[in-house]
Amino acid sequence: MTGLFKTRLQRHLREMAKYLRLVFNDFFVFALLFFLGGLGWGYSNVLKTLKAGLWWAPLVVLLVLVIVAQIGRFATLIEDADRVFLLPRERAMHAYLVAARRYSQFLAQCTQLIALFILAPFLSVALGWTLPQVLVLALAQVVLKDSLLRLDLASVYQVTGQRRMNQWPFKWLLAIVVVASGVWLSPYVGLLLALVADGAVAVWERQHWQSQQIRWREQIKIEDNRMLGIYRFFNMFTEVPMVSGTIKRRRYLDWLFKGIKPIHSQTYLYLFSRGMVRGTDFSGLVVRLTVIGMLLLYFVRGEWLPVILAALFIYLIGFQLLPFFQQYDDVVFTHVYPVLPALRLKNFVKLVTLILSTTALLLWVVVVIANPHLMTAGITLAVEVVEVWYLARIYTPHRLARADQK
Amino acid sequence: MALEVSHVVGGYSQIPVLKDISFDVKDGELVGLIGLNGAGKSTTINHVIGLLTPHKGKISINGITIDQDSQAYKQQIAYIPETPVLYQELTLREHLEMTMMAYDLDQKVAWDKAHDLLKTFRLANKLDWFPANFSKGMKQKVMIVCAFLTNAKLFIIDEPFLGLDPLAVNDLLNLIEQRKKTGASILMSTHVLDTAQRYCDRFVLLHDGQVKTEGTLSELQAALPEAGESLNDIYLSMTKVDRA
Repeated sequence: MTGLFKTRLQRHLREMAKYLRLVFNDFFVFALLFFLGGLGWGYSNVLKTLKAGLWWAPLVVLLVLVIVAQIGRFATLIEDADRVFLLPRERAMHAYLVAARRYSQFLAQCTQLIALFILAPFLSVALGWTLPQVLVLALAQVVLKDSLLRLDLASVYQVTGQRRMNQWPFKWLLAIVVVASGVWLSPYVGLLLALVADGAVAVWERQHWQSQQIRWREQIKIEDNRMLGIYRFFNMFTEVPMVSGTIKRRRYLDWLFKGIKPIHSQTYLYLFSRGMVRGTDFSGLVVRLTVIGMLLLYFVRGEWLPVILAALFIYLIGFQLLPFFQQYDDVVFTHVYPVLPALRLKNFVKLVTLILSTTALLLWVVVVIANPHLMTAGITLAVEVVEVWYLARIYTPHRLARADQK
Repeated sequence: MALEVSHVVGGYSQIPVLKDISFDVKDGELVGLIGLNGAGKSTTINHVIGLLTPHKGKISINGITIDQDSQAYKQQIAYIPETPVLYQELTLREHLEMTMMAYDLDQKVAWDKAHDLLKTFRLANKLDWFPANFSKGMKQKVMIVCAFLTNAKLFIIDEPFLGLDPLAVNDLLNLIEQRKKTGASILMSTHVLDTAQRYCDRFVLLHDGQVKTEGTLSELQAALPEAGESLNDIYLSMTKVDRA
């Protein structure tokens, strides 16, 4: 069973490496270095101004460490098929889970230590701590994280009936108690408490796991969510096939569809509009970019800058909408329905026109509010109208017709 | 002649799965497409509904091929897939409305029909749900309701009997019977041979991408006298020849 985990871990790490290479491209690394450098410089400047005995310093330490203690989840790498294929080997799964926890430890504990390393100068300046004190607090933090991960492991089993032991209020409470006593009383007290908690969970888990069932369904769901979170992160940089948005009914937006009459020539406008509003992928993108654009334009002053920015945001949205045309290609009825492909394209163009016009209008209103010049308002409007017309009516059909031929 | 498949060679890639198959479905006829897994039933159906283009040969529905007039060709088909396929973002009501729009049906007439069908398949109170969250059997019923809303002349039904409850199977067979009376034709693939034997007018037995035999049950019995009485026996003997 440890062998199985090792195989899966290798596959998992290969996959992560593939995506990380894409995320940390040269440009991003460069930007990140600048960002971190700036942050470090700012931090060192803040440290210079601090004196010992500030009342809020321990609170900052508490907040940081309690949050950091929650970072680093229990990666089980359990898959959906496991509840069928591994069910007969349920007892042997313990070795697998222990191996999984060992792997999860590594990343989680590195995070804890890095946090403590960053926090160390603050502890020494603002709280006047010595090196041994900082080291003991670091140890307490590591043992605390160990106990939290052990709690996750114990909760894989139905130890306490339907209630899980690793619910977030409990985890946060445990972290607050340990860190608070470490900061206000003494790091040694914090370490002691962390050891007691860790030991208690260990004993409790050892006594119970053999007589309990694994919560397969829940555990699979937790692991799926964890992976989905990772994929979502990667999805910000590159295309991830595993991320498919969720569907929400959004009944309160049904009025949007009132204008679309149920006639043959609007078959796909009917579908596309609902798909756009109820799916989270593309609508989220449009809303995010529109809101960011509006915020940015509100704070930007000038004659030409608002025009360029408004045009840029409309272009970004229009460009990103293109793949939505293929959204329903794997539904067989898209090909079986007696609707001409040209009509589908025409309906899509109409949808893009509607969306881009709405965005353009919203951006224009913000520009007018922020820049009370007749010139800027007029030029923005003119540029927007031409751009929306070109993007939706000329560029979109041209690009999609070309893609369709392939 | 509702559906005419003549000398079709085809498949998903350059390697042909179907090796020169020919058969037809006449007006008002229910033809069963019978064959083992991988015999080419689904490939045949995918060619008929226009998802795949034949390498050679011709498929026409009432004399029209898909190349001549794709809209007129597709207008005549209603398809019920083996695995239900739905639009994730549409409710049941919207699926029906979308079908009406796609086939350009009169809304009022179609909704009258829809309400009857929904009642038959006990879906009437689920109009505002997302069928994507239904069970497999219920999703299949949605597919059936959508297909039978249309005035299609050719119904293509891929393995309808697995996953449906006995009552729904019975209701589907009744619907098929009604449509046959109005002159519509049905091409149905299935493994449930005793039901097929009772309801199909004719059978096309596919094996390894070829039409092994074709005809009514009595014709099949005459062709393979030692095979046995039932469609099941004939089917088994046909595959045994190949295994030996």
